[in-house]
This record gives sequence, structure tokens and C-alpha cells, in this order.
Amino acid sequence: MITAANVTKHFGEVTAVNDISVTIRSGEVFGLIGTNGAGKSTFLRMAAGVIRPDSGKILMDEQPVYENPSVKADIFYISDDQYFLPNATPRDMAGFYQDYYASFDRVRFDEMLGNFQLKPDRKINTFSKGMKKQLSVLLGVCANTKYLFCDETFDGLDPVMRQAVKSIFAGELSERDFTPVIASHNLRELEDICDYVGILHQGGVLMQKDLEEMKLNIHNVQCVFQSAEEEKAALGLLDLVKAEKRGSLNNITVRGSEKEIMEKINTFSPVFAEIVPLTLEEIFISETEVVGYDIKKLIF
Amino acid sequence: MISRNLFFKLIKQDMKKRIWCPILIFVACFLSLEVRMLMSMEEFVRNPKAHSYDLTVYIREYFFGREAVFMTVVVCMAAFLCGLSGYAYLHSKVQIDLYHSLPVSRTKIFWARYLSGVLQFCIPFGFHVAACMGIAAGRKAVSAGTWLAMLSFIGIEMILFVLAYSVAVIAAGLTGNIIVSILGTGVLFSYSAGLALLKFLMAERFYDAYTVYNSRGYFIFDGSIWNFSPFSMIIKFFSSPNNTTMQEAQKFFRYDTSYVGVLLIAAVLYSLAAYVIFMKRASEAAGKPIAFRIAEPVIKTMVVLPAAFLSGFFFCSISYSSSEDEWFLFGVIFGFVLICILMEIIYRMNLRGALMHKRQFLFNAVCTALIFIVFRYDVTGYDTYVPSDAQLESCAVSISGLMPFGQEVQVNEFGMHCLIPNEYRMANMELQGNPSVMELARKAAKEQLSIRYFDYYEGIEESPEYIETIERQSNYRGIDFGYKLSNGKTIYRKYIIDIADADTLRLLSDVFNDIDYKIGSTPLFNDSWNLTFDAVSCESNFRREEIELTPQMQAELIGVYQKEYMKLTLDTVMHTAPVGAVDFLFRDREDDTIFSSYTGTMYVYPQFTETIALIRKYGVDMQEKLKAEDVALVSVQNNGYSSNSLIYRSPYNTFNPFVRRTTVYTDVESEEVEYTDKEQIQQILDSIISDRVIWMAMDYTDFFEPQYSVHIEYEQKDFNKSGVSYRFIKGKMPPFIQ
Repeated sequence: MITAANVTKHFGEVTAVNDISVTIRSGEVFGLIGTNGAGKSTFLRMAAGVIRPDSGKILMDEQPVYENPSVKADIFYISDDQYFLPNATPRDMAGFYQDYYASFDRVRFDEMLGNFQLKPDRKINTFSKGMKKQLSVLLGVCANTKYLFCDETFDGLDPVMRQAVKSIFAGELSERDFTPVIASHNLRELEDICDYVGILHQGGVLMQKDLEEMKLNIHNVQCVFQSAEEEKAALGLLDLVKAEKRGSLNNITVRGSEKEIMEKINTFSPVFAEIVPLTLEEIFISETEVVGYDIKKLIF
Repeated sequence: MISRNLFFKLIKQDMKKRIWCPILIFVACFLSLEVRMLMSMEEFVRNPKAHSYDLTVYIREYFFGREAVFMTVVVCMAAFLCGLSGYAYLHSKVQIDLYHSLPVSRTKIFWARYLSGVLQFCIPFGFHVAACMGIAAGRKAVSAGTWLAMLSFIGIEMILFVLAYSVAVIAAGLTGNIIVSILGTGVLFSYSAGLALLKFLMAERFYDAYTVYNSRGYFIFDGSIWNFSPFSMIIKFFSSPNNTTMQEAQKFFRYDTSYVGVLLIAAVLYSLAAYVIFMKRASEAAGKPIAFRIAEPVIKTMVVLPAAFLSGFFFCSISYSSSEDEWFLFGVIFGFVLICILMEIIYRMNLRGALMHKRQFLFNAVCTALIFIVFRYDVTGYDTYVPSDAQLESCAVSISGLMPFGQEVQVNEFGMHCLIPNEYRMANMELQGNPSVMELARKAAKEQLSIRYFDYYEGIEESPEYIETIERQSNYRGIDFGYKLSNGKTIYRKYIIDIADADTLRLLSDVFNDIDYKIGSTPLFNDSWNLTFDAVSCESNFRREEIELTPQMQAELIGVYQKEYMKLTLDTVMHTAPVGAVDFLFRDREDDTIFSSYTGTMYVYPQFTETIALIRKYGVDMQEKLKAEDVALVSVQNNGYSSNSLIYRSPYNTFNPFVRRTTVYTDVESEEVEYTDKEQIQQILDSIISDRVIWMAMDYTDFFEPQYSVHIEYEQKDFNKSGVSYRFIKGKMPPFIQ
């Protein structure tokens, strides 16, 4: 488990991370979302032991990370602009990481390179941006570390590759103790990968939630009531997040389970009532609007 | 740790990544070792007689010896290359993200890279040195001593490499940008040398009594400047001492071996400093010009202040009125503002940042102004300082322009070796118990006489102020003091004294007449030098002969000469024409060349009757008179220059910033008259003295007419007589000359 407690980092006069407290449970895919400059990369660099927090603590399984090689042996960090040795090939890079990560699986790496159609002896500097990102993920997965930090690694990957990576992550999660932490500025990129999401904004954590829990606890309902009185009474019973009305059609976002919501609405014998699925994006819009942020301006 | 061998794997990785670095060093070492050795050997084989030693000696003493200084240039370049390339990753965010996220401690990263850099030099260097030994062995030019010389060579170059390498690593650690790192390496490498130069220039300009003395005589070794920069240390290490014995000077291998320990300690300390900086450096400093924000104002002050004053000297050197403060001040202010702005731009990487940190600007401006005031107005009382009798242990004095002069002499085929008389006296003279010495020092310090220099303009020669100054200053002479204090320190001062002042002249006579002054003024009387001469050159008015000396003859001649020299008074020097001069010489064993000795020419006065008699016994009559029959022609030239000597700074002398003023003489028309009448010639011959026996005391003598010079053409060409010019002895000039 990764625990960040009151972590702050300044770069000169700029506060990159401001009093962040986050808990990342083992065995989950954690998505770190935020605009450029929100502090995602800084947080990941601190979590990977690259930079030291000005204040607060980052503990990895209750051990400090900075200058702690034994803890860092459980972390593989893929930066937003991953560095490869000059003139290196994928095979060279595998050899490089093998020197540092004892459990680096060379056989699996070669196999996965084939699956992703990456040539092991081709110079990396001739790779496309997407290919480099694929290679970074493969190196990270084959390092067999407990934690894999990916900074914007999935941004720009095509859907097929993203699906492939997702499959790899799913496989790793089922087979071993594996916790990927993925930072992105695009919520849509993470929707189908992450279990848990934290939103960073202006150096602080706006919110962090379990995605499934979020999806189960907020719903969009379209309904028409027989009279204005019934409509008022029904909406009064619901935990409304947002309500819109077009003609007689109510489009409402409501907190609570599907069953609970429909039971309350059906009490008033509506003309029409139907649960409409919410996208992750819509859930976040709704959730963050509640706390006073217009998330559209933040992450879309 | 995942592997015990990780450290070595890191080294291997680093070497693999920077393979171009050892390749470059390999090529550089090849050119500067094997190729140079083969070229030298070729020359050696073609011209064996041009050398006074064999190839084995050459390899041992020259190639692996004193020429190590040449290799040191290559070594320093290699060190900068290895240091900067090895730690340049600190300037790249993407590389930092990779290397500092890996499960390896920074300590291990640092030392692995450090060792890798050392090996990248060490391996090709060692290979080429071994190849050189192979070449030498192939020519059968290797002895047991060669191995020792080679090991010393490797050891010394490695120490110097680590020293320069650590400086580059420190610079890379202190900065976050490769360009700033290169600049930083240059500054760190030579900072103390720059400070020493600046102090020298400032003191030279503003202090009349400033002078530097030490065993080497370079401004860089000013004792008050700490030589912490490798450049200063390297110069100091390779500088051959001036004030040494002839035997020492003739050695090829002239490292200052006592300094090796200092270099070694410095190399270790610099390495540790590089490590500490590396550990303290934040990863996020990549890309910033300076990695430690707290260091920014310190570095700025350390750079801006010296640079401002150096700029002042630059403008002074290119201006026409260097002795005035205007251009100096302009240069200081201009340099100060420019460097302040430049540094802020470098710090911010933004032109808009040029005028930031106004308080720092103000602070530096105040410091600059204070330094200027301290030097310009001698706030510390440098010029007037004379230690009290209680503080003084002994004193060394050197009366400038009064015999004997030292000279630059060639001690072996590799070059000249210089003995500066003032240096020798400061190191070897210890005057005690002569109250006139300190009285003269106090008088000189109190009077604070100084030579006034003029910036030239047309018509200056007619200026009454100029004429009055030149007239007054014609009696000014230089004298240097070395105060050896009871606390172990030695403080040097140079003063101007006015010998027209009777009291000053009395005190000066007391100093010159002091036996300890005479003994300490020349190595000829220094028993500990154990000088062995091969010949003595005896120069009389009309002849120069060399007499081969046996050890007994040397002891006898020097003994007699010393006895009589000790009785010589300043009054005699000033008013008595010498009969000749002796110069003790040594001979090069191989090519039979006679060289001048360290002692300089020593005059023989008419009072030195025993010396004259002894030399006559050796076959040379120093009082020999010339007969008119031997002379075909005498020409007398009226020079008339002495009353018109100008002292000003030449407007054309812009190449040497150290020289404030240059002495230039005006062209005055001269006329030459030839005499062939034997009677007139005889009269001239009886009233002249050779230039060769007056020049060393010329500043203090008044027994000859400087206005006229006399040249003699002999009936028969005679090497020992030709090519000498003469002066008329005062009061003896024949009336027909005037």
C-alpha cells in the first residue's frame, strides 16, 4: 500500500503539490487525473523516490521511498518522456533494467515484444512515440515490480494497444501482487483501466473514489410525473445531485442505488421513469460540481 | 541490494554509454605520448651530438620528467571531458527520472560514475604509457630508473587528473545546465589564480610599496592568496624554483616533490566535496543554471567583483591615460553592470530577468566601491607599514641598480634559468643589529616618494612641470626590504629613496657597507651553495680574458676578492672608476660552451690590490694601458640623451595590461667625430672607461660623462678588444672633445 500523508512540494515559488494525502491500496489500478500542472508528475516522481517532498511522508508498505533502494526495487517508474540509453535497442534496455531488477523476466519480455510486434534489435530512437510507450510498459511489466508508476503513458495509445495493455494489467493483477498507478490528464483514457481514481487540482487532491462504487451510487434518471405536485414531492425524496427539465421530461442525477431510487420514484406512479447509464465523465462532472468545481474546465 | 556486482555493472554501463570518451582520450594520449616520443627519438637519433646525455636519460628525465607539464594539459582536458560528460545527466530531467528512480543508492551512483570516469582516462593513459615503455625498451633506452620515473609520471598525472576531474564534477553538480557547467569548471579551476592576478594588478596599481617575493617569483604565488584552485596548484607544482642552487637548477625532473602531498590531499578533498554536493543536490535542479538557489548570490558576488576590476584593468590597458582613474573607474562600473546583468540573465535564462535582485546589485556595488576605496586610498596603510623593532627578527635589503646583478643563464639545453638578485637577497640575507637598516626603511615609508609618470602628449618635453619632475626624479632609486617577523611571516616592501638627500645617502651607505649585506647580496659568497666554477672571465678596460680555474685557484681568488669586497664602501662605488670586472663561469661538459654563472659580474676597484695582483699572477693585467700605436681610429659620439629621457606610457603599448607605463627616450640628434691623430688618441685612451665596468653601478656613479660614448678601431682585429664602447671619466675629458 502506498500512503502519502500531507505531502507538499515547492519548485521555487511554485507549489507543485500542496498537502496531498492519498492512499493507494495494493492490487488496484489507481488513476491519477488532473490538468497539466495539477501535480500528477510531481507526485509520481516523489512516490518513485526521484525527488524528495519538502514536507509530509510517502510510505511504500510503511517504508520511506526516498534513498531506499530496497523499497525502490518494488517500483518501476515510467516518466511522461521516458529516457532510453543512446542508440539502445529494446534488448539493450532489457539488459539495462535486468541489472537493477532481480526479477526482470527476460523470456517474457522477448515474448511480449513479439506480441506487440516490436523488433528487439531495432534502435529505439527510430520508434514512434506510441511504440516507445508500449516498450516502456513492457519493460515495466517485465520488471515484475509490485508497483508500476505510469506518467501519461496511456495518453496517445491507440484503443487496440490500450486494450492489450489493459489485458496485461488484468493478467498481472490476477497472477501477482501488482499495483499500477496511472497518471493522466484525460479521464476517458483511464475509464476502462482504473479501479480507483484520484483527481488532482492545483497541487491538491480534489477527491478520490472507487470507480465501481461511484458508478453504483450515482445514476441518471429520466422521468415524467403526472402532476407538478407529485413531481415536487418525488424529487424532494431523492438525493439529487443535478436536475434539469425539458418540457415535462425530468433529467435528474441522483445519488443512491438503482433499486432505492426507482422505488422512491415509483411511489408516485410516474408516467415514465427510466435509469440511463452515466459515463465516468458524467459521474465526475456531477461529483465535482457538488464540491464547487467545474470539472469540464479541469480535465476535459 | 539485488546484486553484489551492481557497482561494477554500473561502471560497465556508464563506460558503455560513454564509449566515445575513452576513445577520444585514447587518440589524444596516442598523439601526446607515442607520437611525441617517436618524434623526439627521431630527432635524438639524427642529432646525437646536440644532446649532452643519452636516450635513456632523455626518456627518464625528460619524457617522463619535466615534460609531464605538457601531458598535464591533455590530462586536464580529459578530466573535464570525463567529469562533465559523466554527470551531465544531472542536467536532464528525463535522465534524472530514469537513474534516480532505479533501486540503487545515490552514493553508489556517484562513486560508480566517478570511478568510471577515472577508468575512462586511466585505461587508455596506462596503455599508452606502457606502449611508450615498449618503444623505449625497443631502443634499449630503459633502465631501472626509467621504471621509477614512469611510475612517478603516472602517479602525478593521475593525481592531477583526479583534481581537475573533481572540479568538473563539482561544477556539474552545482549547475543544471551544461553551458553553465563548462563556465563553472573554468571558473573553479582557475579562481584563485584569477584572484592572485587581480590582487597583483590592484596592488601594483594602487600601492607604491607593493612587491612580491617568494621562491618562484610569480604573482600567482602571493602568500596572501590561498591557492585552492587546481590551476594555481598545477603551476606551483611545475614551477621550477628560481632561488635554488645550480645543481638543483640543472636537474631535469623538477617537480616540487614536497608539494605532491598537498596535491593528493586537495584531490581527495575535491572528490569528497563533489560527493557532498551530489548528495545534497535536488533532482529537480535539472535544467536550472544553478542547482543551489542559496549559492546564487554567493557565486554572483564571487564572479562580479573580480570581473568588474579586471574590466577596469582592461579599459586601462587600452586607454591612452592609464595612470589616471577615469578609465579604470569606467571599466569597473561598466564591467560590474554588464556582469551583474549577464549573471541574472544566466540565472533566470530570461532577458527580462536582467534587472532583478536590486538589493544584491546594491550589495555588490557597495562591496566593489569598498574594495576600490581600500586600495585607492590605502585604507590599510600598506605603503606606510614598517614593523616595529620588537616584531622584527631580521631584515633583508636589496638596493636596486647596484651590483651585483643577477642574470638569466642557461643551465642546460632545455632552457634558461633565472636568478633574480632581489629574490636571492630576500631569501638569503638576514641583517641584524644595524639600526640604519630600519631607519632607512622608516624614512622611505614615511616619505612615500613615488615615480610620477606622464601620459604622453605632444610638447610634454617643454612642460615646466615635466622638466621639474624629471629633474627631481633623476635622484630617485629603488630599494626593497624583506621584513622577517618573529611570528614567522615575511613581509616585503619596495620604496623609492632620494639619494640627493644626504641623510638618506648616509643610511644607504651604512646598509651597503654592512658586511652581512655584502655577503647576502650574491651567491658567490654563499658557502652553502658550494659553487664550482670552471673559469673566470677577467675584463679590464681594453681586454677580456678567460682563465681556467682549478679548485685551489677558485678558493684563492674568491677568498681574496671577498676580503677586499667586504671593505668596499658605497662612497668608493660612487666615485671610483673600477679597473675591471671578474665573472665566474662554468663550462658545459659536452659542447664546451662557457656559461655565465649565477654570481653576476663583480667589479674590481683600484683598492683591490691583492685581487689585481693575483689575477696578474694568473696572466691578466687588469690595469693594462692601451697605446695609441695599436689604435687606428677613435670615434666620439655626443649622445645627449640623458637630460631628455621621457617617462610615459606609450600609446602603442596595448598588448601588455600589466605595464602601466613604458620608458621611452626621445630621439636627439647625435654627432660623431673621428680622431686619427695619435696624440689625441692617446689622450682619449688615458681618460676613458669601458661601458662593461660601469653599467652595474651606473645608477649610483658620477665618475663618468654619460653624454659621450667612445668607440675604438684597432690596427689589428682582436676579439678580446673589439666591440666595446667607452665613456669619459669625469674631469679627465680632453679639452678638444668639448
